[in-house]
Amino acid sequence: MALATGAVVAACFALAVFGPALAPHAEGTIVSRNIFAPMSAAFPFGTDYLGRDMLSRVLFGARFTIGVALPAALLASGAGTLLGMLAAVRGGAIDAALSRAMDTLISLPTLIFSLVVVAALGSSITVLVLTAAVIYTPGSYRIARAVAVDLSATDFVKAARARGEGGLAIMLGEILPNMVMPVLTDFGLRFVFIVLLLSSLSFLGLGIQPPDSDWGGMVRENIEGLSAGAPAVIVPAVAIAILTVSVNLLIDNLPGRRIGRRGD
Amino acid sequence: MAEATTAGGARRHRIGAPPPLAALIVRRVAVSLLLLLAVSVLVFAGTEMLPGDVAQMILGQGATPQALAGLRAALHLGEPAWLRYLHWLWGLLHGNAGHSLVNGMSVATLVGRRLVNSLRLALFTTVVTVPLALLVGITAAIWRGTAYDRVVNILTVATVSVPEFLFATLAVLIFAVRLRWLPALSLVMRGASFAELLRAYALPVATLSLAIFAQMARMTRAALVNTLASSYVEMAVLKGVRPVRLVLRHALPNALGPVANAVALSLSFLLGGVVIVETVFSYPGLAKLMVDAVSTRDMPLVQACAMIFCTAYLLLVLVADLVALLANPRLRHR
Amino acid sequence: MPGWAGLRRKLRRPASYRDNRGRLAAKQQTGLTMSDDILPNLPGGTAPRMDLPGTSRRSLLGMAMAGGLVGAGGLVLPADAAPAPKRGGKLTVAGYASSTKDTLDPAHASNSTDYSRLFMFYNGLTVFDRHLNALPDLAQSVETKDATNWVIKLRKGIAFHDGSPFTSADVVFSLSRHKDAATSSVVRPIAMQLQEIKAAGPHEVHITLSGPNSELPSLLAIYQMVIVKDGTKDFSKGIGTGPFMVKEFNPGVRSIAVRNPHYFHHGKPYLDEVTFFGITDNAARVNALLSGDIDIASGITPLATRQIKAAKGFAVLNTAAGNYTDLIMHVDAPTIGNPDFVLAMKYLQDRERIRDSVFLGYATVGNDQPIAPTNPYYDASLPQRPLDLEKAKFHLKKAGMLGSKVRLVSSVAATGSPDMAVILQDTARKIGFDIQIDRVPANGYWSNYWLKAPFTYGNINPRPTANILLTLFFQSTAPWNESHFKNPTFDKLLIASRAETDLAKRKQMYGEMQKLIRDDAGIGIPVFISDLDAYSTRVKGFHAIPTGDLMGFNFAQNVWVDG
Repeated sequence: MALATGAVVAACFALAVFGPALAPHAEGTIVSRNIFAPMSAAFPFGTDYLGRDMLSRVLFGARFTIGVALPAALLASGAGTLLGMLAAVRGGAIDAALSRAMDTLISLPTLIFSLVVVAALGSSITVLVLTAAVIYTPGSYRIARAVAVDLSATDFVKAARARGEGGLAIMLGEILPNMVMPVLTDFGLRFVFIVLLLSSLSFLGLGIQPPDSDWGGMVRENIEGLSAGAPAVIVPAVAIAILTVSVNLLIDNLPGRRIGRRGD
Repeated sequence: MAEATTAGGARRHRIGAPPPLAALIVRRVAVSLLLLLAVSVLVFAGTEMLPGDVAQMILGQGATPQALAGLRAALHLGEPAWLRYLHWLWGLLHGNAGHSLVNGMSVATLVGRRLVNSLRLALFTTVVTVPLALLVGITAAIWRGTAYDRVVNILTVATVSVPEFLFATLAVLIFAVRLRWLPALSLVMRGASFAELLRAYALPVATLSLAIFAQMARMTRAALVNTLASSYVEMAVLKGVRPVRLVLRHALPNALGPVANAVALSLSFLLGGVVIVETVFSYPGLAKLMVDAVSTRDMPLVQACAMIFCTAYLLLVLVADLVALLANPRLRHR
Repeated sequence: MPGWAGLRRKLRRPASYRDNRGRLAAKQQTGLTMSDDILPNLPGGTAPRMDLPGTSRRSLLGMAMAGGLVGAGGLVLPADAAPAPKRGGKLTVAGYASSTKDTLDPAHASNSTDYSRLFMFYNGLTVFDRHLNALPDLAQSVETKDATNWVIKLRKGIAFHDGSPFTSADVVFSLSRHKDAATSSVVRPIAMQLQEIKAAGPHEVHITLSGPNSELPSLLAIYQMVIVKDGTKDFSKGIGTGPFMVKEFNPGVRSIAVRNPHYFHHGKPYLDEVTFFGITDNAARVNALLSGDIDIASGITPLATRQIKAAKGFAVLNTAAGNYTDLIMHVDAPTIGNPDFVLAMKYLQDRERIRDSVFLGYATVGNDQPIAPTNPYYDASLPQRPLDLEKAKFHLKKAGMLGSKVRLVSSVAATGSPDMAVILQDTARKIGFDIQIDRVPANGYWSNYWLKAPFTYGNINPRPTANILLTLFFQSTAPWNESHFKNPTFDKLLIASRAETDLAKRKQMYGEMQKLIRDDAGIGIPVFISDLDAYSTRVKGFHAIPTGDLMGFNFAQNVWVDG
């Protein structure tokens, strides 16, 4: 299972790197007058709402989907986990300050936040990655803190404190290894959320610009082909499902997940 | 076993008795009020930072400089931003949420009925989704590693990976357009029968459930499995406790913190994050109202919606934190 | 219902003879009269109307009414020889715009949803028929001798929804408020021409214009010019004289309109109740129609017509009103304003492909000037600018810009512009020119990018008359002069054309103005876009009035349901 999902994930990532080289047509080129064409030998995934080759678009799109969602999810999950642990271990004022800051951040309407970012920083892939990361950091933080709080009250953490270990050592040495499962699961979900968020942000003018598009954006722009069963809307949706499901299954099946528990 | 850890946890913080739950709630509510204030300042500042003001948005493409000047004067936009904010805040403290800058209607009127709609949709979705997600998460943890667990995992992630607008549109095409079993719009009239209500809510609730189900189910499973791997549960295993009892009696109480937080996060999405569902089904709720208000830079309305969403979120995480505290008494000192 | 092509043919025919009929304008010498045929105290065929040539539909109508055949007809007659309208029934209609901005205040009405509601609850002094004739509505006659001083006689015996009588005070109030800066009316630039508006007795209003304009009756037919009650402050009640009364109005949610039993057009409206709301999601609007939840879905996308046509019991109404999305190049901007660059961009327009790919044929090829082929002043003799890669390359080279890169701003706010930009990008690539597309948010597009970005797109809604369009968008002093086009010859022609009473001369002036825009303005108009409404075939009497979708927004009193 781990091997199979790993292979699928690896294939997706390979597409992100080599996809454009494999594409039969340049990305923005309109190759057919026949819009929403069904699958055919000439256009294996049909054509989109403008008559562009969907195979090429999906191959190009891998880069804009994985290339943005992966770093954003890593950032969100990483920052959320570290800050969550910090809050749990230090407690007191630091915990309160961090928690309230995160609550404030999550309470800011995403729409206002994104529009302000576009207005203030302009639109680029970097800004897109950072925005997506910031939007999903508070969620990661909440989960990580909840797990870490439970852990920091356990006897083995107290033993470590009694041994005089510092906060950082406790975080990385005692707590982190014992919260791998929830943190990774959360990361997997954040990844899915961000993949789906991209098309909304691009729609607001933040990030990926035409003719480039991420897979979610392709689903969105071709949604009117759904009633006719056009592959232009189904193929990118399936691509998203394959990517996100395999990443999450890989997380579930990572070898050695149950090893490394520390007892007291 | 459980008693032993409890006792152990309490030992270190005996000095100064843990504050009673009531005091903790009072403190959190006070902090929450401050937080609401901070959010309102940020929302106001954010709206101010956005290019274009309400006058431009009202007049839209047809804005001439004279018309803009006239409308700005009429809306008191000439006043400095901080003064306008204070006016709004002063009104709010006196129970007056102000009037929409765009159509002059009172914010309370505009928000009122839509809030009821939003809460109703959220409630229905919660009732359907939360028990199911917890059940699936718990059973997957009990039978972890089995075929059931794997199938559940794949299906759960698959549900969340379908873009909401795709699922909603597909569902409408199948159930409303082709089969004509359900309405494509969820305009619930007052005095609708229970059957009509069910029909109207079926598709929006299904779409929303799909969006929030995965986070709750997967985090429940993950938290449980993580707890199951801890030493004291391993001790219970050695003592020969059966798997079901092991999960429910030993692992679940210790995993409730993260689970409650995951549920709170998911549910907080149900008020403000449901723009797509409200749009596709023409459901008059708060999320769409907020998007409209942001588009027109209608500050009092934006603020009202933001305050409601923020309050809902704070309530949810407060409950989540309390659940975590009750489930794990070792934490009460915090 | 015939297909869209058939409908368009129907539309074209009247447009071509509309010119000779002169639309009121040519009649000033004799004292222009738009008499109301229904009222018996008027001599049946007053001289001016008898002047109308031939047996046009309107003079036939006039005679029929003079002969006492006043029936269910009203002002906008159903399609030729259509079956008799049925009374009763309810209609649910979805527009494409809806937000808390929805208003029943005529001065602030700014989209199709608002306009449609205005015509449910109010009437104008005049109203457009399907051939764009401005017929009297609340007015009984609109007369002038010099195109500057106008006498408007009002109908008598009309009441507002609250029972108060309709008089000249209401007209003075309704028209004057547009001029007040504090009202911030969207039609203020047009209303400013009405230099003096004063009552002369309870049923007569005198208007003096700031300069001669033979098109006043058309100006009064604009949706924002409808008549409200004198002194109205709260517009949410929708107190007008219109065919329907407000039962519910909830901005951003819906309106419910119920029949006005005392409506002054006898027999109208046909419907008992109209529920109107906006569904902003394109696919959702169409699906709601196909699932039977609504009867009319306004503003559907060309793609959706496939879905409509594949389903039984539904049809598409195509209105060629002259809406266009234009490529804007500021002629005074560095680089972009280089005349050779501007010309190159015009030669790079693949008009057929835009028509076929972006609008699936629901568009007509444009010629970089804003007057649509359906307009009486359209100059067909102006040579069509073709797609010409060689010329484009030549001009780019001359501008020294071949091999450089430009940034083009597009947004879904300007209908079809992201796709038109992609096509332009693709075409330009063929001659080695790189256009970088910047897709920006629809939210705030009109205030932040349109008129500001030097190389971008605009979208212009149809205007009731060619003169209004040119005045608003091409006069040197126009507030929305998109490309900063400044041409004294053009300005002179524009002013002169308003006062010119000879139709042939006026047409010639419009022809010259079209050429000036085509050649010198920084505007590329690849196509004119049709407005598309989809409807259930149980809706009858639903035909195009080419000022906009939903029968020029005036469907509510003109349609009925059958089956």
